[in-house]
Amino acid sequence: MSRTTTTRPAAGAPTLTGRLVAWGSTSEVGGLLLFLALVVLGFSLATDRFLTAPTFASIAFQLPELGLLTLAMLIPILSGGLNLAITFTANISGLALAWVLQAHGGAEAGMFAFALGVFAALAVGALVGLVMGAAIAYTGAHPILVSLSMMIFLRGLGEFLTRGGDISGFPEFVRLIGHGWFAGLPVPLWLLIGCVLAWHVLLSRTRLGLTIHMAGSNIEATRYSGIDTRRTLMLVYTLSGVMCGIAGVLMLARFNSVRVGHGEAYLLITVLACFLGRVDPFGGFGRALPVAVALLILQVIASGLNLLGANQHLATALWGAFLILVMVIRYLWASRSPHRP
Amino acid sequence: MTSKLSRLLLAGAFAIGLTATAIPSNADAATRMGVVVKIGGIPWFNAMEAGIKQRAKELGVDAVMVGPTSADPALQVRAVEDLIAQRVDVIGVVPNDAEVLEPVLQRARDAGIKVITHESPKQKNADWNFELASVDGFGDAYGKMLADKLGGKGKYAVFVGSLTVPLHNAWADAAIAYLKKNNPEMELVGDRYGVAENVDESRRTALDLMRAHPDLKGFLAFGSQGPIGAARAVSERRKGGEIAVLGPFSPGQGRRLVHDDVLTGGFMWNPMEAGKVFVTLGDMLAKGQEIKDGMEIEGLGKVHPDFTERNIIVDQLVELNKDTVDKLAELGL
Repeated sequence: MSRTTTTRPAAGAPTLTGRLVAWGSTSEVGGLLLFLALVVLGFSLATDRFLTAPTFASIAFQLPELGLLTLAMLIPILSGGLNLAITFTANISGLALAWVLQAHGGAEAGMFAFALGVFAALAVGALVGLVMGAAIAYTGAHPILVSLSMMIFLRGLGEFLTRGGDISGFPEFVRLIGHGWFAGLPVPLWLLIGCVLAWHVLLSRTRLGLTIHMAGSNIEATRYSGIDTRRTLMLVYTLSGVMCGIAGVLMLARFNSVRVGHGEAYLLITVLACFLGRVDPFGGFGRALPVAVALLILQVIASGLNLLGANQHLATALWGAFLILVMVIRYLWASRSPHRP
Repeated sequence: MTSKLSRLLLAGAFAIGLTATAIPSNADAATRMGVVVKIGGIPWFNAMEAGIKQRAKELGVDAVMVGPTSADPALQVRAVEDLIAQRVDVIGVVPNDAEVLEPVLQRARDAGIKVITHESPKQKNADWNFELASVDGFGDAYGKMLADKLGGKGKYAVFVGSLTVPLHNAWADAAIAYLKKNNPEMELVGDRYGVAENVDESRRTALDLMRAHPDLKGFLAFGSQGPIGAARAVSERRKGGEIAVLGPFSPGQGRRLVHDDVLTGGFMWNPMEAGKVFVTLGDMLAKGQEIKDGMEIEGLGKVHPDFTERNIIVDQLVELNKDTVDKLAELGL
């Protein structure tokens, strides 16, 4: 983007830090990684309990459920929309899995029942997404309205079906998915890594990824260039729904139960993570990897503040302040670019 | 300009980073504990935090309270994860959802952390759960108080929050059973009414009942708004002093009515005391002290723990009346 940072004569010789900063301001992931390093450094200075294996484990266990929901939010935002129904879609998918498990003996259910249940969960997620996508694509209603209606519908439906309570009593191996370790990393983290890579490939290497970005930039222009934008939008929300299904399975395993309200607090944080990950709020621009790094930054800040014993409300306030700061810095960077007035 | 600034910042940060490794770790022997409550920033848990801080200071314990920003059980799981990362000695929890916390509390105990819960009698993976009020103790106390106020005879009505709130109905069962057994001359009017979470419904129901039964002498309302609503009805009919209104209510909300003589009083348990008990118990467990039957524990009194269900249930009730209500209200309750 901007080459001026490297060519501008610096106060001294072009140092390593100077080059790092230059790289940070030109590469999306680079800037965020630098920022992550700064945050980690700051917390390591504040408390010697930060750079330890238990902190890593804590972050690695907390990140995935939020991460999967953020991925579910990412694609709709890229296409110029929003999906406010993600947490409830995830929980309804979790309910589908829970019912399949219960129909096959609850705590005694086997692997086959679990596989069937996961399939059911993903199918439910996909179906919810498809309905939303179809409504958005064919009626032209604003995605916020459609997904808000879907959210209210799913919440009501879920509360009705479960009478507001929990469903629990799952086989022991389900707990391993939420709390076990595999090859040195927590199982949920493997799941997140896999999904981030899948989303990265989908968005940057496939035809669909390109059309999603195009639709987000200018949907009319995309339609006039001969692309079936309705099909694209339906796929966008269906994929978002499938990702919600995966998140629902993980949340069931993590929380050992399903309730419609689980993780309600995550909804806005996923939007925050997308914007912090340099996704354009108006759609069209953004990639999966920076969003993953942004998530990591948010989680490091949250865990670090908890480690310092800070008030939870203060942590929330800091997240908000932080987002405003990111917006300002991004504006400053953009206005320094010679390509823009 | 920005690149120069950030370069400066970075260089500074790296410099501090180098010195950071030289700072010695402040390992100490004091017990460290964290208490995760249902939600932060509401009066009940602010009072609990005050209790935790006060007792921690007395015992020289490093104790903090973590209050999530909403009552979402998922946030409690995250808070517990972070406490495990801090390698605290004791984790205390007032669960929003007992089952959601099971696996993460299991991990805490695997890491050698002691776990104490409050208001969660069927909690799995806790070393101990403590309650400051037993169901029967609470119900009996109300039954006895009502009998005292009415002189052992007369008609009374019972409100609960809703017919599906198990705890309110269990309290009502216990109180009614106590009165049937000890004061057979007292008569329950109608069935119990599920209105006590709503001031206006409580007020209207109380007015209707007073009209239908002119000789009604008492209201027993389990549910935070029931006593307030019934007291307003009594006030409107100018029956203050003639009809007793009992129930647990928020002292700040009810203090005026208590001083106006229309709200008679009740019992509650004090979250500040619960906070102190968290720290007392946590320090004992961290120091390897066993909890034994008949043991005297500060804040709990003589305990008779249930060793199979891992429950310590005592009746440390605070009476709400003209003398106590102001002090409790000043705690913000």
